[in-house]
Amino acid sequence: MNFRPVILIATFAASLTVNLTAWAVEMAAAIDFKKNIQPVLVEYCYDCHGDGEHSGGVALDAFNSNTNFIEGRDVWWRVLKNLRAGLMPPAKKSQPTVDQKAIIEHWIKNAVFETDPLNPDPGHITIRRLNRVEYQNTIRDLLDAEFNVQEEFPPDDTGHGFDNIGEVLTMSPMLLEKYMVAAEKIIGQAVPTVSGVTPEKIILGSQFRGDAGDPKRSGPLWLSYYSPASVTNIFKAEVAGDYQLNVDLVINEKYVDDVFDYNKCLFIFRLDGKELLKKEFSWEGGKPYRFSYDQSWAAGDHQMDFELRPLTPDAAQTRTLSMQITAVTVRGPVGKEYAVRPKNYARFFPKKVPADADDRRAYAQELLGNFAQRAFRRPVDKKTSERLARLAESIYEQPGKTFEAGVAEGMIAVLASPRFIFREENIESTGGEQPYALVDEYALASRLSYFLWSSMPDDELFQQAAAGTLRKNLSAQVNRMMADKRSDALEKNFVGQWLQARDVTTAPIEARSILAREQKFDPEREAMQNRFRELNNKNDGTLTKEEKAELAAIRASFRAQRQQQLRADLTPELRRAMQQETESVFNYVIRKDRSLLELLDCDYTFVNERLARHYGLTNVVGQEMRRVTLPPDSPRGGILTEGTVLIVTSNPTRTSPVKRGVFVLDNILGTPPLPPPPNIPPLEDAIKGLTNRVPTLRETLAAHRENALCSSCHNRMDPLGLALENFNAMGMWRDQEYNQPVDPSGQLATGESFSNIKELKRVLVKKHAEDFYRTLTQKLLTYALGRGLDYYDVETVDQIVARIEKSGGKPSALLAGIVESAPFQKTRSPVRTAATSGDNAKDKL
Amino acid sequence: MKTNQANNLAIQRQAGFNRRQFLRGLGACIALPTFGSLLPTKLLADVISPQNGLATTATGAPLRTAFVYFPNGAIPGAWPSNDGSDFQLSRTLQPLASSQKQIQVIGGLDHMNATAGMDGGGDHARANSTFLTGVRLKKSATDIHAGVSIDQAIARQIGHLTRFPSLELTCDAGRNTGACDSGYSCAYQYNISWSSPNTPMTPEANPRQVFERLFGAGAAGERVANSQRRRQEQRSILDFVMQDARSMQQRLGSTDQDKLDQYLTGIRELETRIQRAEQFGDVKDPMVETPAGIPADYAQHIQLMYDLMLLAFQTDSTRVATMLLAHDGSNRSFADIGIPEGHHDLSHHQNNAEKIEKITEIDLFYVQQFGKFLDKMSATKDVDGNSILHNTMIVYGGGNADGNRHTHSNLPILLAGGGGGTITPGRFVKHGGKPATNLFLSMADRMGVKNLERFGDSTGRLENV
Repeated sequence: MNFRPVILIATFAASLTVNLTAWAVEMAAAIDFKKNIQPVLVEYCYDCHGDGEHSGGVALDAFNSNTNFIEGRDVWWRVLKNLRAGLMPPAKKSQPTVDQKAIIEHWIKNAVFETDPLNPDPGHITIRRLNRVEYQNTIRDLLDAEFNVQEEFPPDDTGHGFDNIGEVLTMSPMLLEKYMVAAEKIIGQAVPTVSGVTPEKIILGSQFRGDAGDPKRSGPLWLSYYSPASVTNIFKAEVAGDYQLNVDLVINEKYVDDVFDYNKCLFIFRLDGKELLKKEFSWEGGKPYRFSYDQSWAAGDHQMDFELRPLTPDAAQTRTLSMQITAVTVRGPVGKEYAVRPKNYARFFPKKVPADADDRRAYAQELLGNFAQRAFRRPVDKKTSERLARLAESIYEQPGKTFEAGVAEGMIAVLASPRFIFREENIESTGGEQPYALVDEYALASRLSYFLWSSMPDDELFQQAAAGTLRKNLSAQVNRMMADKRSDALEKNFVGQWLQARDVTTAPIEARSILAREQKFDPEREAMQNRFRELNNKNDGTLTKEEKAELAAIRASFRAQRQQQLRADLTPELRRAMQQETESVFNYVIRKDRSLLELLDCDYTFVNERLARHYGLTNVVGQEMRRVTLPPDSPRGGILTEGTVLIVTSNPTRTSPVKRGVFVLDNILGTPPLPPPPNIPPLEDAIKGLTNRVPTLRETLAAHRENALCSSCHNRMDPLGLALENFNAMGMWRDQEYNQPVDPSGQLATGESFSNIKELKRVLVKKHAEDFYRTLTQKLLTYALGRGLDYYDVETVDQIVARIEKSGGKPSALLAGIVESAPFQKTRSPVRTAATSGDNAKDKL
Repeated sequence: MKTNQANNLAIQRQAGFNRRQFLRGLGACIALPTFGSLLPTKLLADVISPQNGLATTATGAPLRTAFVYFPNGAIPGAWPSNDGSDFQLSRTLQPLASSQKQIQVIGGLDHMNATAGMDGGGDHARANSTFLTGVRLKKSATDIHAGVSIDQAIARQIGHLTRFPSLELTCDAGRNTGACDSGYSCAYQYNISWSSPNTPMTPEANPRQVFERLFGAGAAGERVANSQRRRQEQRSILDFVMQDARSMQQRLGSTDQDKLDQYLTGIRELETRIQRAEQFGDVKDPMVETPAGIPADYAQHIQLMYDLMLLAFQTDSTRVATMLLAHDGSNRSFADIGIPEGHHDLSHHQNNAEKIEKITEIDLFYVQQFGKFLDKMSATKDVDGNSILHNTMIVYGGGNADGNRHTHSNLPILLAGGGGGTITPGRFVKHGGKPATNLFLSMADRMGVKNLERFGDSTGRLENV
């Protein structure tokens, strides 16, 4: 393939979409189906899709100049996609010229889709419920409170591969109940319901160090069971009074398989020299203890001592037993006159609670109105804040209930309200009968914050929206938001789902079975195994001394080997490192505004020591992830060779070239194959000729591609998957499987050949950059909007892709393109929504 | 002793949570059947209305129904082949030997709407959500449209008799990202119960959450007080959120209104439950420890969830339950029973004898778990002196027949329990190609459901049940 046409297409597309020239519009109007389109179809398509032929159920001659093309939108959408991806006409058939292609593309968009490039249809986003992650982050930013959604809420359903799709986020009665309970739990933990509590001082274990204690330290203190120790801290009581002491201890151990630790110790706690606790402790793995003591104290210093005496000097010390002194909590002095403000009180109740009933109600209304406004992410009317104040009042007027408890109840109602759980959007009132309207700036603020942060808008976004300046300052705001730590959510949630990096933490992988496939045939080891069986089957008594020693040596050797395998195992730490690698590479490309193509091929990646070892990289020491430049011969660098991708596309015991191929087609090239047809013929027939030995996966796949039914899709996915066969199901490099060398070479359905993964990456960068830009744009737009893309989004995607190409592949162009796009900025006007609700081509892109 | 401790610790370490919590939770739930005191002294149903045969046995005990789904079909040859009352348990069904007299293997039931038809691939998604609905799913990643499932159709008419109209459970805790089966929304593949064509009844996988929902949060003995406090709080905010939802609904377009409908349905259900609890008092505190989170061991997880279902039946908290053991297409590895490969991957065994053997082992594993559940149910006495199993109908089955070829006829289905004496278990009955929904209609009849003439693709009632 020569280089020229690619440039031509690129410039053509750019001139079309960036300038949106009148020329383009005119040209589109001038295209005549009979004159410009049909002859091209006859020449290049009708062989298989016309004149009685209807391969794949598509007959393009069903359309003629009298046709209402709008009814065939689904078909023409597929034509457009296949034409652009170079899949149709097939590589081995004659190809239309670049100009012919461009005219057809243009005609489809204009005549079939009826796209107005200057005012594309923004579509309609079904009202979105907060998903688990968004709920958790919103609670964090709203209340500075942690809430474990993984534990408390069921997983959200996904559509188009993402869990933030409005239509798919349903709400069952159980989920509603969970929202109610969550609201109560969260407010119960975050918001104080009294104005005064007994003062409390926590002296952490590590502050009891040596003879005098060290107030600067934090964390618990561990005292070994095996050596005597004494530690001290001094508490100064400011006033005389009643105090309560809580001593929190945990018995710790370091777990070791199949051994037991019989050590005991005597543990003593003294207050001002008096023994309050004297108790023997033994092995009690992980057991927590709390001891409480009421004390009447004089003002002044009070000394607290812990002493540990080992009782079993002769017992084996196998499990590193220790006494963990978590903390001593001193509560007091008890009494109303000593009460202090509870934690966080001022944040929720900045003023003193008024005594007068009207003033109290006004204060409650002010507090709850402000809270509801933040929680609902838009202004609330007076009626709402009045209703909330009445609710609060109905509680705090009850005997024994505090004002704070009433307000807290109002806050629970806010978190249980559909206005919090769903993201309601309004439109700017334009006053005209426009089919599309801008969403108001509060909606825009939420669209931005949930896109980039998976959370609510912060004060600045909210203020900009209130002032009506957000749209004006969009680009500056996006930059500010991307510089904020909260934008890590984009990697975690978008990349985590687009590249399925989230799944690596739970993917079922059986290291031993995988490694066994790569075990080279070793006659020595084989002999050893036979000998082991022989000796092991003999009766214990009949073994000679030499044989016993030999058996022990073989066992040791096996154990060493198992240890080596365990070293390769996918521990949770290694899986997390892989997830971080995928996130970090994306993060780096986006934050540094590098070329998006570096996601496909680059000479660096992010690893820590453990991951580096897994990848066969040297000179990386330490647990923290860092960017490393890869050696020139390294096959790593880029999405395809990241552990996450390689693992989530594998079966538990082996690789799956088919799954890997589908992954690349779907997530990199944007041309997912059709699902397999029903009644797939069994593979056995195809591989009959190879019965004298186990066929390689490559041979098996090749055999089944001979079936025409299979080949149309497998020709596309298999070469991509087989190119990755040098990486096992754990993402480690390998040269051979079952004693046969891996052959990663192949040819793409679009014609390009490659001999290994490094070359394939180069092919993707050089020949498929536009496909990748388009795929990434579609995925990110789907995620940003929370809806599947439709035919009317083709124009929006094209405009963004042209913008990326013009920028030389910059992520900044992608992000700006999305947030400035019609579907992100606008919505169909309510009138129009009703009129066009008949669309049914929702999920084809 | 020493090894036991070591084993327990190994489990604890795997699970990553406190050993004591773990053992307490486990012990408590496995000991459940002995809690005779949990039986409701007076049935809610008695109080609300005269029986009229609504979800009640002839002897006045509650009649319950449950549907248990296992994934990826079963090896057909290992499912039984000889019919009649002297039927022999096949290899896969061996673990049901002790309750053979309480099960009826039902051959020849189909789900034609789970076949490809014009929809192409996606047999797992279809198997899953067609199983209890009997409808053809709309093939879409976002525009979800299934049908009301049979458990929900039953719950609509009898749900008012108990504190919870229905209970949805699963042992599938995780959820993979990425697109689901062949263009179908993941909602189809992870749910079997549907309260409306676009509202799946999300199942709960966490035993602690299920327990707390049924009996209240907190330690044994504090739960009733906690529930009362929670109810009071919820009562005070229901008016506010209901008003918010109504005014919001008026502002929204039609697809958005559906979402608010779902919200309002939930609110109404909660309101009803609060009223009922205030009218009839609280459920008895089972006085056992709340189970900890999800056990690391799959078999233990399954047993805990079955125990909770039994507990819910025993306390008459609900009479309708579903359990999705794992979604169809699940690629879970069964390393614990020596099968490291993925279940789905293996199920396309292509007649490889070794793979077939492994799949048979997995089928067997699931049946073993079910068998233990049946044993517990039959050891638990109901208010009328019969066993709970006698007064229950449990469908155990899946929407895929042969996982290798993705067939949906002659589905592996068995019906356990005596249905309060209305069915004749201890048999293998062949029906020769009837819609599975015919069985569901016959079950709905026995539950006292009225005016359900057809269901899904049903062609009539299933005779000879």
